[in-house]
Amino acid sequence: MSEQGSTPLPPARVLVAKSSLDGHWRGVAVVARALREAGFEVILGGMLRPSEMASVAAAEDVDLVGINVGGRVEVVERALDEMEAAGVGGVPVFVGGTVPPQAIPRLTERGVGVFPPGSSLASIVEEARRLTGRDSSGPRL
Amino acid sequence: MIENQPETTSGIPLKLLYGPDDVPADIREALGSPPGRAPYLRGAYPRMYRDRPWRIFQLSGYGNPEDMNERLKFLLFEAGETGIIIKHDRMTDDHLYDVDHPEIVERREDVGLTGTVTVGLRDYETILSDLPLDSIYAKPGGGVPQSAVYTLPSYWSVATRRGIPLEKLAGTGQSDFFLTYLGCPTKEQIPPEAAIRFNLDLIEWCSERMPRWVPVSIAGYNAADSGLSAHQELGAVMANAVQYLDMIAARGKVDVERLAHRIGGVNFRVSMEVFEDAAKLRAARKMWSDLLGERYGITDEKARQMRIHVVTAGSAMTYQEPFNNIVRGTLMALFSVLGGTQSLGVSGYDEAMSIPSDHAHLMSIRIQQILQNEINLREIADPLGGSYYVESLTGELEQRGWEFFEQIQGRGGFLSVLDDGFLLECAEENNQRIAVGMESGERAIVGVNTHTIDDPIMDVEAFEGRSGAQTWEMAMERLADLRRTRHGRGAVEALRHLEAVCRDDSVNAIPAFMEAVSADASIGEIGNVLRETFGDWQVPISV
Repeated sequence: MSEQGSTPLPPARVLVAKSSLDGHWRGVAVVARALREAGFEVILGGMLRPSEMASVAAAEDVDLVGINVGGRVEVVERALDEMEAAGVGGVPVFVGGTVPPQAIPRLTERGVGVFPPGSSLASIVEEARRLTGRDSSGPRL
Repeated sequence: MIENQPETTSGIPLKLLYGPDDVPADIREALGSPPGRAPYLRGAYPRMYRDRPWRIFQLSGYGNPEDMNERLKFLLFEAGETGIIIKHDRMTDDHLYDVDHPEIVERREDVGLTGTVTVGLRDYETILSDLPLDSIYAKPGGGVPQSAVYTLPSYWSVATRRGIPLEKLAGTGQSDFFLTYLGCPTKEQIPPEAAIRFNLDLIEWCSERMPRWVPVSIAGYNAADSGLSAHQELGAVMANAVQYLDMIAARGKVDVERLAHRIGGVNFRVSMEVFEDAAKLRAARKMWSDLLGERYGITDEKARQMRIHVVTAGSAMTYQEPFNNIVRGTLMALFSVLGGTQSLGVSGYDEAMSIPSDHAHLMSIRIQQILQNEINLREIADPLGGSYYVESLTGELEQRGWEFFEQIQGRGGFLSVLDDGFLLECAEENNQRIAVGMESGERAIVGVNTHTIDDPIMDVEAFEGRSGAQTWEMAMERLADLRRTRHGRGAVEALRHLEAVCRDDSVNAIPAFMEAVSADASIGEIGNVLRETFGDWQVPISV
């Protein structure tokens, strides 16, 4: 779908993981595929604990973390805290899934983009490009 | 100009007009058999809803056992539900983890959000207090097999302690492979072979002593809502049934005819592709009857009868403008009944953001009550029967369903296609097609990718339970109390016995599970026995 040759930057690495243990993978798979087709290198983490998200993000040297939320935002906030503690607090995070609407401001205040069910894949890819600095030179979806 | 060929979600081409030539010969023949007679195309029972209105059967559960009990009493005694379903916390229950398990502690705020959280049998007593177990129809939980052998014995043990004989209990288990190994795989899960063993144990146990209990229920819903199309759902459900029948026939303890009757309670999804899905329910009954008759030589028509439970598609419910989902729920409910379902759960209008609030729950029940009372829907059996269009769809789905069934059998059967990732790949391919359709706008969803407005005048908050993030702390206290006050040696011995039984598949394991829960073994201790005995199944997922 896309050509990497024209871009001066290497493909951005994105960790995609689920914060809760609910097992729904459908949305994650669709988003992961869209990111891949847009030229991102996607690392699928599966259902990771907040501390595991931080350690995988650090070990894999990712440029972005995408979290599927199937529960409360406190768990996402814990992942952000763990990432700071692991020295990868500067890696941007965006989330999708069944995020409680009333809790969205808590995440946006910490700079986390929120993509609830029904969000277009183009908008998700665009945000991933912006967050990883691939928006002007990167490949197009 | 070339017109785009319109088609259903499953890919069946749609014509502008259907006529007599579109009805396949064998469907025409099946139309001649009345409802209640094989091949049951026209319905499971002779007088359908005149004799028995469909059961209003809503998934319910959140928070602590007190919350669960309160919600059940509201649904049953006030709202007018006619059966109860206890939905358990997926994190603790489906995984069989205690609330102090490391996987839970780091996600503690999520506990109780996907169902009610139990630490042991005492919590079931709380959940079920003031409920007349001898007269209600219940699904106590146990969507996944490893949870079912904890949940069903717990429910049954509460009844036994109240002096209610097991044979009086009416209800259903689930232990569904589509949920467990396809739709929502848990982080740790016993392998399908171990799950099959427990399901066969449940079937035999119920055959011997619980005549009013459906031991396991194949849930096509979970195949469909994770991506399988209508005919794939049909073919996979039939392949699942063949797996049960062949394996239990090999064990030789229950004869196939008796077994067939015990597994005839099947669950399907009805989505917004309403005509196709109503046709699917009709095709499913016929395929089931034909399968049991032709492949297994079962002549007793009663044993070839499929009874259907429908859940309307959760994936059809949108996050945006949630009240639109009441309309979607009504449509899907109507066509579930037109397809002849025996029981029905309508997804809450807040499905895309949370488990249902009280209001959303009541709305799902009201939709069904309006259909039952206000539109003469109960008076007519199979009102779609004979429609050229619907019969064409029914025949087409049956044919494509059998083709998919043969594909599964050709790959080594049902367990093989769970293990080798084939079903996951099929689902993913369909999901991709659907996602692309939504992205391009070809697949229109009102309020989401067409007719959208910026002003969120239909705002709804996600339901977060009554105890909120404290749910976990309260469960931790109950677990500590359980460990402190139980007869410690009794629990240890029961768990040791359970492990021995699990390692010996010539023994039915259900009595040992009953003993373990009755000895106040915790959910996590039972889970540890299963993990140590059977190991973990790895999801063959590829994205």
